[in-house]
This record gives sequence, structure tokens and C-alpha cells, in this order.
Amino acid sequence: MNHNPQSSDGKHDDDSALSDFLASLMDYAPTIPDELVEHYLAKSGFQCPDVRLIRLVAVATQKFVAEVASDALQHCKARQAAVVKDKREKQQKVIYLCLLSFLISFGLSDPLLEQDKRLILTMDDLSKSLREVGIEISTLPLYISLHVLVSITK
Amino acid sequence: MNNGCLENRKKEHDNSQKRPKSYKFGSKSDDFALAIAKVAVAQLCESVGFQGFHLSALETLSDISVRYIYSIGKTANLSANLAGRVEGNVFDIIHGLEDLGSNLGFSGASDVDRCVVSSGVVKDITHFVGVSDFIPFAYDVPGFPVVKESAKTGSFWEKGEDPPGEHIPSWLPAFPDPETYATRLSVENETMGVSNGKKTESELERVERNMDRSLLNLQLRFAHNENKGGSSHGSGYVATESNPYLAAPLHVGEKEVSSVVLPTKLSNEVALRNPVHVDVGNHVSVLETFAPAIEAMKSGLCDSDNVKKKLLYDQRPTVRFKIGIGKKSLGTMSDLNSQNEEDLLKIASWFGNDNEKDDKKRRVEKILKESVESSKE
Repeated sequence: MNHNPQSSDGKHDDDSALSDFLASLMDYAPTIPDELVEHYLAKSGFQCPDVRLIRLVAVATQKFVAEVASDALQHCKARQAAVVKDKREKQQKVIYLCLLSFLISFGLSDPLLEQDKRLILTMDDLSKSLREVGIEISTLPLYISLHVLVSITK
Repeated sequence: MNNGCLENRKKEHDNSQKRPKSYKFGSKSDDFALAIAKVAVAQLCESVGFQGFHLSALETLSDISVRYIYSIGKTANLSANLAGRVEGNVFDIIHGLEDLGSNLGFSGASDVDRCVVSSGVVKDITHFVGVSDFIPFAYDVPGFPVVKESAKTGSFWEKGEDPPGEHIPSWLPAFPDPETYATRLSVENETMGVSNGKKTESELERVERNMDRSLLNLQLRFAHNENKGGSSHGSGYVATESNPYLAAPLHVGEKEVSSVVLPTKLSNEVALRNPVHVDVGNHVSVLETFAPAIEAMKSGLCDSDNVKKKLLYDQRPTVRFKIGIGKKSLGTMSDLNSQNEEDLLKIASWFGNDNEKDDKKRRVEKILKESVESSKE
């Protein structure tokens, strides 16, 4: 007996929360445009005249992409921190200095320094973060990269 | 068990490699939507904190986000159809979101008797909306895909005509106008009447007339088709009309043609023949042999073909070839033949170039002689 009014109140609250949320969605325009979402929903066969539902799908997708991107960012930052630790060891080595002078003669700056400035979304980080969500991505390994050049100096 | 699982995974991997790229999201028709998705995903990544992307990574992430939307729609449509509805509901969408988020987990997923309204997924989204910044899309996106207007088929119903005969439905394309093919029937009737009435008419002339009429009809038909039919039809027929090789052949005398100038070689042979005939005594000159032919060409009679042939066969003399005596025989001719002076003059005009060459050679010889004499002196 006691549960019933509470549960009914709870349901009312939930209903109101949902309806309020859907109403608030109309103010907040998601980054993913409505036309794009409508196109792919139509492709899948989902028919709906209500704009709020399309906004709900757009917001859900935005949340998903933001989560994946933030995971990838964390991976990228972790990798950079690991490189910075090794960098100081390497700077003491003569061979690395020779390589550095070789690169500077071509007009390129120190590759290890560059990584601190820019955060770039790479396939490595992306595949790691997507694996956590349940999507398996396999890419061909790139053999020509600065990481390989650095490893030669070890 | 483990080995079986590994084998299955390998098979799936092989199959996925052999199978071509999914046409749902990789075809050319989807390029526009994918491009928009790339822009949106790039904006989102920038808001998260990235400063640059590898193109392959951006393309992959945009493709996955598009598939995410597609799978939400698919699951929502499935749950709506299961409930017996055609149009989707907010509860259908929440069901779809729960399915997709089930492997990551959301709050309240383990509850047995949970209500869709109070699902953890919605709460997570609400929280996200409250926390995240407002980032509008960078471009104005038009409504797509744009529907193309279909071309008119030109059916009976569209033209407002009644199809001749009950067996023809009105949605079929209409027949062409009867003018394009009706005249042909009338021409055939006329030719039949002519052949019965006037039997004295030569067959040649009748055939001519039929040819002319059919040509006219063809041209009329092409003109009609040009006016009505599509450009493709018209251009094709115009091409055949203008093609000179397909036009009817001209008869002798219809078109003025310049008279043929006999080449010098032929005239040499003619000259050769004459001394032979002089020896024999037939007194047949060059012009006499070719006069009827030239007259026939100028007059332009249809029946001249037979006459020409007869003349040629009657007056053609026997030919004896003498090599390298042409110029000397000229000299003999001029001495012996006094009767046909006019003809000789004409022949001489044909050989005009040769005479000039002889004069030049004589001058050269003279100069040489003079030089020799002067050197001797």
C-alpha cells in the first residue's frame, strides 16, 4: 500500500523528467545536424514525425562519439607522457644528437619536441578506445614513421 | 571449445576480408551524408581537446557514428513493429539505446522490473546535455536526399487521348501521328494505277518516280519525327538525311559536270594510231573517234549509254604500240596529213607543252654550240 503512491509518484516524476528533458532538447541544438540523423533513420526504416525524438537520437550519438574521443585523448596523453620520460634518457646519447643534426639540416625540428604541442587523433588510440566499446578495428601497420627512427637510436 | 571459438573467429575474419565493402555506408550515393558526418565528428573531437586528426582515424570514427545512428533506428523500428505500430515511439528509441549500451553498461541495467521511462540511459544523456557545451554545426545543411521529378512518359492518359481499341491500357505511351506513315500508302496506290493504265511508259521512268516519292516521304517522316520525338530521334534521322552517300543517285545530265580533258598519254596513243591508219589508209582522225562521245556527254541523253558503246566499238581501230617514237611520228604526221589541218592544230594544242620543251632544248643546244665554238676560237 505504501509502495503504490511512492511508485506512482516516482513514475510521474520519471514521466515529467523525460518530458521536460525532451522539451529542453529543442533549445539545445546538438552538433550532429537533424537532416543527417533523419537521413540515416529513414535508411534504417524508422519513421517518426516527432522532431524531439530525432534530437534525442542526435544527442545520444553525440554522447557516444564524445566518449570515444575522450578515451582516445586519454590514450594519446598517456603515450606522450611515456615518451617524455624516455626523451631525457635519449638526449644524453650521441647517436640521437647526430640524428637530430641530420634532421635539422633538412629543415625539420626535433620530432620529440613536436609531440608535446599537438594532440592528434591517430588510428592506434582510436582502435584502443573502440575496443572497449566493443568495436574491433584492424589496420595495416605503417612501417614508415618517426617512432621507428627513434627506436633505431636505442 | 576454445579451438572451435578460435576457428569461428578466423572464418569470420576471412569472410569479412573476402566480402566487398558494405554498400550501405561506402557507396558513392552516401558521400554527401558521410562528409557532413565527418565535419560534425571533427567538431566534437575538437571540443574534447584534440588539435589534429589523421584522416583515416577521422573517417573511421565518422563511419562508426553513422552506423550508430543506423543501428538505433533499426532497433527502434524493430520494437515498434513488434508492438504492431508503424511509427516509432520514444520508448522504442530508449529500447534501442539500451541495446547498444548494454555491453558498456548503464545504471539500473541489472534491475529486473525496471521501467523504460526511468532507464539509466536517459539519465546519462540528461547529465551529458547538462555538462557539455553548446556546439552548433558549422554549416547550413539542406534537406537531403533531393527528390528528382520523373520525366513524362507521354502516355495516352497524359495526352488526354483515348487509346484506339479496348485492349490498349491508357498508361502506355501514345502512338505517333498517322501523318508520318499514311502518305506511303497513297503513293503505292498511285503507282499501281500508273502501271495498269499506261503500259507504254518505260520502266526506268516509273522506277525513278517511285524513288523520288519514297525519298520525299522519308524526308517528311523525318521532319515529323524531329518535331515530335526526342532529341535523340531527331538527331539520328537528321544525320541520315544529310548523309550524301545515302541520297538517290543522279542520272546522266542532271548535274553539270565539266568535260573530261584527256591526259597526254592517251592523246599520244591516239597519235600513234593515226600514222598506223595513215599507212593502212583509213583516214580516221582523233576527233572523229571521240566526237560522238563528247556530243553524248554534252547532250545528256538517258539512252546515250548504248549509243556510246556502239560508236566506240565500231570506230575503235586496231592498236599497234610503238615505244619512243611519239615525237618523230608527230613530225611525219604534219608532213603527210594535209586534209585535217584543223584537227592537227587541235592536236598540236594538246602537245603544246612538248613543243615548248623542244624549243627550250634547241636553245640550250644552240648556246652549247656557241660556247664550244667560242672555246675553240
